[in-house]
Amino acid sequence: MNEVLFEGERLIYGNLGHLAVVLAFGTSIIATLAYFFAVQKPEEKSWAKIADSAFYVHTFSVLSIVGILFYIIHQHLFEYHYAWQHSSRELPVQYMISCFWEGQEGSFLLWIFWQMVIGNILLRTAGTWKNPVMAVVMLSQIALTSMLIGVKIFGYKLGSSPFELLRIAMGNAPIFKRPDYLSKIVDGNGLNPLLQNYWMVIHPPTLFFGFATTVVPFAFAIAGLWKRDFTGWIKQALPWGLVSVMVLGTGIIMGGFWAYESLSFGGYWAWDPVENASLIPWLILIAGVHVVLIFKHTGNSLSVAFILILTTFLLVLYATFLTRSGILGNSSVHSFTDLGMSGQLLVFLLMFVVLSVVMMAVRWKELPKSAKDEEIYTREFWMFIGSLVLVISAFQIILTTSIPVFNKVLGTNMAPPADVIQHYNKWQMPMAIIIALLTAVAHILKYKKNTGDAIRKIGIWAAVSLVIAVVLMFAFELTNWFYIGLLFASVFAVIGNASLLKPMFAGKVHLVGSSVAHIGFGILLIGVLVSSANKQVLSINQSGMQLNPEFDAQANMEHVYLEKGKALRMGDYEIEYRKDTMEWVNNYYQVHYKKIKPNTNEVEYEFDLYPNAQINPKMGLVANPDTKHYLSHDVFTYVSSVPKEKGESKFVHPQTYEVAVGDTIVTNNGYVLLKRINSNVKDGKIDVANMQLLIAAELEIHTLDRVYEATPMYGVQNNSVAQFESIVDDAKLRFKFTNVNPANGKISIEVAEKDTSGEFIIMKAIKFPWINLVWGGTIIMIIGFTLAIIKRLKDLSRV
Amino acid sequence: MKKSSIIIIVLIAVAIGAIVSSYGDASTYENFSVAAENPEKEYHIVGTLDSTKEKYYDPKTDANYFTFYLIDDKGKESKVVYRAPEPQDFDRSEKIVIIGKMNGEIFEASKILLKCPSKYTENEVKAS
Repeated sequence: MNEVLFEGERLIYGNLGHLAVVLAFGTSIIATLAYFFAVQKPEEKSWAKIADSAFYVHTFSVLSIVGILFYIIHQHLFEYHYAWQHSSRELPVQYMISCFWEGQEGSFLLWIFWQMVIGNILLRTAGTWKNPVMAVVMLSQIALTSMLIGVKIFGYKLGSSPFELLRIAMGNAPIFKRPDYLSKIVDGNGLNPLLQNYWMVIHPPTLFFGFATTVVPFAFAIAGLWKRDFTGWIKQALPWGLVSVMVLGTGIIMGGFWAYESLSFGGYWAWDPVENASLIPWLILIAGVHVVLIFKHTGNSLSVAFILILTTFLLVLYATFLTRSGILGNSSVHSFTDLGMSGQLLVFLLMFVVLSVVMMAVRWKELPKSAKDEEIYTREFWMFIGSLVLVISAFQIILTTSIPVFNKVLGTNMAPPADVIQHYNKWQMPMAIIIALLTAVAHILKYKKNTGDAIRKIGIWAAVSLVIAVVLMFAFELTNWFYIGLLFASVFAVIGNASLLKPMFAGKVHLVGSSVAHIGFGILLIGVLVSSANKQVLSINQSGMQLNPEFDAQANMEHVYLEKGKALRMGDYEIEYRKDTMEWVNNYYQVHYKKIKPNTNEVEYEFDLYPNAQINPKMGLVANPDTKHYLSHDVFTYVSSVPKEKGESKFVHPQTYEVAVGDTIVTNNGYVLLKRINSNVKDGKIDVANMQLLIAAELEIHTLDRVYEATPMYGVQNNSVAQFESIVDDAKLRFKFTNVNPANGKISIEVAEKDTSGEFIIMKAIKFPWINLVWGGTIIMIIGFTLAIIKRLKDLSRV
Repeated sequence: MKKSSIIIIVLIAVAIGAIVSSYGDASTYENFSVAAENPEKEYHIVGTLDSTKEKYYDPKTDANYFTFYLIDDKGKESKVVYRAPEPQDFDRSEKIVIIGKMNGEIFEASKILLKCPSKYTENEVKAS
C-alpha cells in the first residue's frame, strides 16, 4: 500500500489525545479492580494504594483529554473530524465551549469529567466508604471512557474517538487522496445555530453534572449491600442525593429556559422524549430521597429506598440509551445520530441492571423489614404515598416515551400520541394535584405520632388556601375544574409549608430547607398552571378574510403577515415591522409594539422586540424568538417565515411639491424641511466642469423618531437637464430635484415612497402570563435544596 | 388487610391504566388509504413531496395556509393542507412526516416533521 504523505497535519495532538483516552480507560479498569480487592481483602493494604494511584493518573488523563480537545477546537485544527464538524472559524469563543459538547463524544467527555471530579471529592470525604464506593464509580467510568476509545476490536468498533481525523472519518471522499487536502478545507461545518445561545453554554454542564451525581447514591447503596451495612450508607448518600436532585432539577429547568428563550415552539416544556428522559430519573430520585428520609426517621421502607436509589441511576443510563442510540428517530428534535454505539450503550445499561438486581436478590432476605402496619396520621405514611405517586408519574412518562423501543422489540408501528401535550397533561395533572396536596399535609404532620393539633392545623391552612385559591381563580379567570383543583393544591402547598417557616425567624435558617423547597415547588406549579392555562396567542389572524377554498376552521391561524412599515392591530397591541439589521449571521427584525387601552384607544406603553433569524445553508431558516419580560407577563415573538430573497427597491406614489427655503412637505411618516439651496456644489462624484449649472437642495427629513439628511441635485449639462436623486433608506423615501422656478425662487421636489410590499415577515406572538412564577419558584426551590444540603452536611460533621 | 397491600393493589390498577392509556392514545404510522377509512383518527404518514405538482403558499393572502401533494410509502397521493406558514426548508427535505387526519379528499396536517439531507450529517427540523 502506498502511503500518501499529507501536508500540514498536526498529528501530535491527536496522538496525545488518543493516548490520554487509552490511559483514562486503562486506569479506570485498574482502579476498579484494585478498589474491588481492597474491599474484599482489607488486610492487604497495598490494593487501596494502587487504586488511589491509578485514580490520580486517571484524573490527569481525563484533564488531558479535555485540554487537548479544547485546543484542537480553539485552534481550528480541521484535520480533526470533531473540530471540523462542530466548529468554524468565525465562531465566538464562548460558543467554542458549546462545540465541545455538541457532539456525542464531547458530551460523554463532559460526563466523564464530572464523574472524575466527583471521584476526587469522594476520595477525600467518603472515609471508610471510600473503597467500595469508588469501585462502583470507577466501574461506571470504565463504561463511559470506553465510549471514547474508537478502536476496532474483533471487527466491532468500540466507542467513537473525538480525535478521529477528518480524512479517516469521511472515508473515501476524493479530496482526501490529495496530499494537500488540508489547504482546501477552509472552514469547519459550524455549530448548530440553535445551540448558539449562552444558555447552551451552561445548560449541558449543569445537566451532566446532575446526571453524573446520580452515580454517588447508587454507589453508596451498592456498597451498603456489598458490605452488609444496610443503614450506614444513608448518612452520606442523603446529602449527595439532595445535591443530585438540586443540580439535575436546575439543569432540566435551564433546558426549559433555553427552549423558551431560543426555540420557536413557544414554551419551556414540550414533552419531548429527550426532556422526558431527564425528567424521569429526577422524579424517581425525589421519591427515593423521600423514602430514605422515611427510613432514617422511622426505620421503615428500607428495601423501597434501596430500589428507588438504584433505579435512579439505571434510568439515567436508560435515558442515555434512548437519546444516543438513534432509537427515538422521528420522535424527537434533539437529534443525536447513531454513532453505531447502541450495542455498547445497551451493554452498559444491562451491566448495571444485572449488578443491581443481583445485589438486591442476594441480600434481599437480610434486609431489615418492619412487620407492623403503618399509622395513617403520620408524616411517613403520606410521604410514602407521595413518593409512590411520583413513581407512577414517572412510569407513565416512561411508557409513552418508550414507544419507539416497543416498536423495535415487539415489531409494532406505533407512533407517539398525535396530541402529546394533552396525553401527558391528562395523566400528570391529577398526579401533580395529589403531590402538591401531600407536600403540605405530610409536612405539617410529624413523624410517628400525631395529636389532633396537627390535623386541626391542616384543616385551618387548607381553609385559608381555599379562600386564596378562589380569589386567584377569579383573578386568573380559570374555568376548567382540573386547573382549579391544581390551583388549590398548589396554593395549599405554598401556604401549608409557609406555616412551617417558624424556625427561620428564630435564626435557624438551615432547618427550613424542605419547607422552602416545597414552597418553591408550589409556586412553580402555580406558574406552570397560569402561564399555560392563560397562554394567549396574540397573533391570531385578525383580518377575518376568508380567501382560501378549503377554509373551514379558524383554528391554527396563529401567524400574521406583517408588511414592512405597515402597522397592524393584533388584539390589544398595535405592531409594526420597522426594519431589519444584520449582525454576524443573524438578521434581527425590529417589531415595534404599542399596547393599546381597549376602551380609549390610548397608547399605554411601547416597546421593541428583535426576533432574529438566520438563513442557515444547512438548516434553512433558524429563528430565535425575542421576549419582552414584564413582572406579570411576557410577550413572546418569533419570525416563522421571511421572503426567500429581497427584491430590488422600487419607489411608488411620486408627488411633486413646489417649495421655498424654510417650507415643509408632509410625508407618510413625518415631514421634510428645505433648509437651503446650495448653488456652489462640490461633489467629487459629479464632473462639475461640464455643467452649466448645478444646484443642490439640502433637505432635512424628520420621521417619527429620527432626523436624516438628503441632497437631491439639479443640473444643466449641454442644455439638457440632469437630475441626481437622493435616497434615504431608513426613511423609505426618495427625493428628486425636478425643476427651478426663477420667477418666485421656488424649486420643485419630487417625493416617492419606497415600495415595501416585497418586504414582510410572518410572525407569531404569544403572551405568557405569570411565567415569572415558574422561574421564581425554581429559584426558591434551589434555595430550599441548598439549605437542606447544608443541614445534612451539618448532621454529617456532628458524628 | 394491611394498608400496604391496599396501596399495592391501587398502584397496580393505576399502572394498568397508564399502559392502556398510552396504548390507546398512541397514533400509528400509516398511509393515506388507512387514514381515509378512519377520518376521525389522527395518523402519522411518512412520504415524499410530489414535485411535479404545485405547492401553494401566498403569505399575502393568507399566512396560515399552505398546501402541497404528498406521495405516501404505498405510492398513493393526496393533497395536504397545513394551516401555518410553509416550513422554510421544505423543498430540500427528502422525507416528510405529516401528523393529522383525512378531511374528505384532503389531509389536514397539524404537524410536519422534515427529514433533511445535508452534506455529511443528518439533520432534523421540526415545524409545528
